[in-house]
Amino acid sequence: MKKALITGITGQDGSYLAELLLSKGYEVHGMIRRSSSFNTGRINHIYRDPHEKDVRLFLHYGDLNDASSINMLLRNIQPDEIYNLGAQSHVRVSFDVPEYTGEVDALGAVRILEGIRETGLSTRFYQASSSELYGKVVETPQKETTPFYPRSPYACAKAYAFYITMNYRESYGMYACNGILFNHESPRRGETFVTRKITRAAARIKLGMQSCLYLGNLDAKRDWGFAGDYVEAMWLMLQQDQAEDYVIATGETYMVRTFAEKVFERLGMPLEWRGSGEAEMGIDRNTGTTVIRIDPKYFRPAEVDLLLGDPSKARHQLGWKLKTSFEQLVNMMTDSDLKQAEQEKRANG
Amino acid sequence: MAKRALISGISGQDGAYLAKLLLEKGYQVFGTARDAQMASFQNLETLGIRQRVTLLSMALNDFRSVLQSLSRAKPDEVYNLAGQSSVGLSFDQPVETLESITLGTLNLLEAIRFLQQPIRLYSAGSSECFGDTGGAPADESTPFRPRSPYAVAKSAAHWEVAIYREAYNLFACTGILFNHESPLRPVRFVTRKIIAAACRIAAGSGEKLQLGNISIARDWGLASEYVDAMWRMLQQAAPGDYVIATGETNTLEAFIAKTFAQLSLDWQEHVSSDPSLLRPSEIMVSRGNPDKAVRDLGWRAENHMRDVIRIMIDAEQGKM
Repeated sequence: MKKALITGITGQDGSYLAELLLSKGYEVHGMIRRSSSFNTGRINHIYRDPHEKDVRLFLHYGDLNDASSINMLLRNIQPDEIYNLGAQSHVRVSFDVPEYTGEVDALGAVRILEGIRETGLSTRFYQASSSELYGKVVETPQKETTPFYPRSPYACAKAYAFYITMNYRESYGMYACNGILFNHESPRRGETFVTRKITRAAARIKLGMQSCLYLGNLDAKRDWGFAGDYVEAMWLMLQQDQAEDYVIATGETYMVRTFAEKVFERLGMPLEWRGSGEAEMGIDRNTGTTVIRIDPKYFRPAEVDLLLGDPSKARHQLGWKLKTSFEQLVNMMTDSDLKQAEQEKRANG
Repeated sequence: MAKRALISGISGQDGAYLAKLLLEKGYQVFGTARDAQMASFQNLETLGIRQRVTLLSMALNDFRSVLQSLSRAKPDEVYNLAGQSSVGLSFDQPVETLESITLGTLNLLEAIRFLQQPIRLYSAGSSECFGDTGGAPADESTPFRPRSPYAVAKSAAHWEVAIYREAYNLFACTGILFNHESPLRPVRFVTRKIIAAACRIAAGSGEKLQLGNISIARDWGLASEYVDAMWRMLQQAAPGDYVIATGETNTLEAFIAKTFAQLSLDWQEHVSSDPSLLRPSEIMVSRGNPDKAVRDLGWRAENHMRDVIRIMIDAEQGKM
């Protein structure tokens, strides 16, 4: 039985990847960070007490900030594959805690790579790289050969992790890959990420639990895919003859504005935009009420440009295919949040 | 004008209760977490105060984020409750434990010194610093003999606070708190683990509760009372360190027996021992003497172990 170690297993991608690997017969080990808040909500449905029989999912405390804890886990688990998805993953937060972001996102990767080297394992390594690396884009669409221009402490830290992964592949012949993933969303996306923020707020507005949604830059364009499709690409990257880096994207791009329109439309609240700049508002055409406003506090200190990925290499070399369309993604997230909001409303009487 | 307080580690048990207490006293409360935009803050939700506190991202091992949070919040009082908080976990994660506690406390002290503001600091110390006192009650003058990476980190932080108080005249206090529990404890802590399992067993789950060494003895108080002692320390004329405890020590076995008895169960039928849960080094008996706090702060624990158990069982069953 193959063994995989996933850092960041409690996150969106970690939970989908754990499901995928379990379905492929892997023994899956997840590393989780201490927290006084409950943070295993995304994997509770696949977790069972290790004292039971035939358990294939195990959780271990560890921290990307703590090399000793990583080495210990590598020695004890001896994984065939490591997926490094653990990170301070919020771009806006990285402006508030830049040094911590660097510790976890940049040095965390090298701590694992060094751990693999020291323990002498032939572990294959996947590094979660990000389209944020392209930042102020040099060419469109972005592919594996496009130069980076990071625009946030998050992206700078991820750039270090990208290059150190490449460096260990070239210096030590390690099987180490970067997946440069463009935005990928799902009903399990954190509530502060813009897509989920919109679907969640729209559902609550629909049910009268909230009156207005505040957004930043409506014209920011993103290439949004479904996280469940993207974790398949991560796995495929580690099953090749040769380790390489791949862009994973849909190749299509939409504005935040368009995403919001589709969501509100789905909920029977078609939108009309009025005003411009910070005074722009989204109005529910049926009722005439304002449901979207701009709050400049959500503008980033440095915004990235049009991020649009070219996934041709992954399509040809990995045989990776996108299964979920933008429309299906929007509907999946909207329907899930509507259901959650309905449950919450019922629970609160 | 309302006093301003900054609580690091506000998402935790003590942070949530302290935030509630300070709000009731009319403070403007700022709270920090490593990633405030991502954390769930369900303890604040549970206490119904999430919307009443201002949340900031701050990592104690990131000096700049500490400095910026203090500049933004402009607090009169800072309560440092952040950091790795589990003795057991500190054996698996010693470096992160030291960074978040020892380096974290130092960054906070340095930031306060740098800002040259009359900020009062409460630092969360721990009874674990005393190690095994052979059953003798520990007070503020008892020497430290830490027996875990957690206790080592807390001991170093304790002396950092003392040095900054003496060298730079900072109003900085360490509260040497003995174990304090509540329904907000995460289940990886033994008290909550026992309560949760016992309640499930009482409801017919049929499971076995796996525990490590149950002959250890501890002084268990109620967290919501202990945060009041923190606040009192910062209202004194002069800063100092205080032991906070109930003064009553019980074995873990007694805690288990009392819990199961309250649910009309015989604990011996439901508990088994798992050697993998034993710690590499353990404190057998922990005993505290809170006389100084009683005398100087006018603080005394109203709730003892049996009360703590009752409160935790009630909350657990309310959730089921």
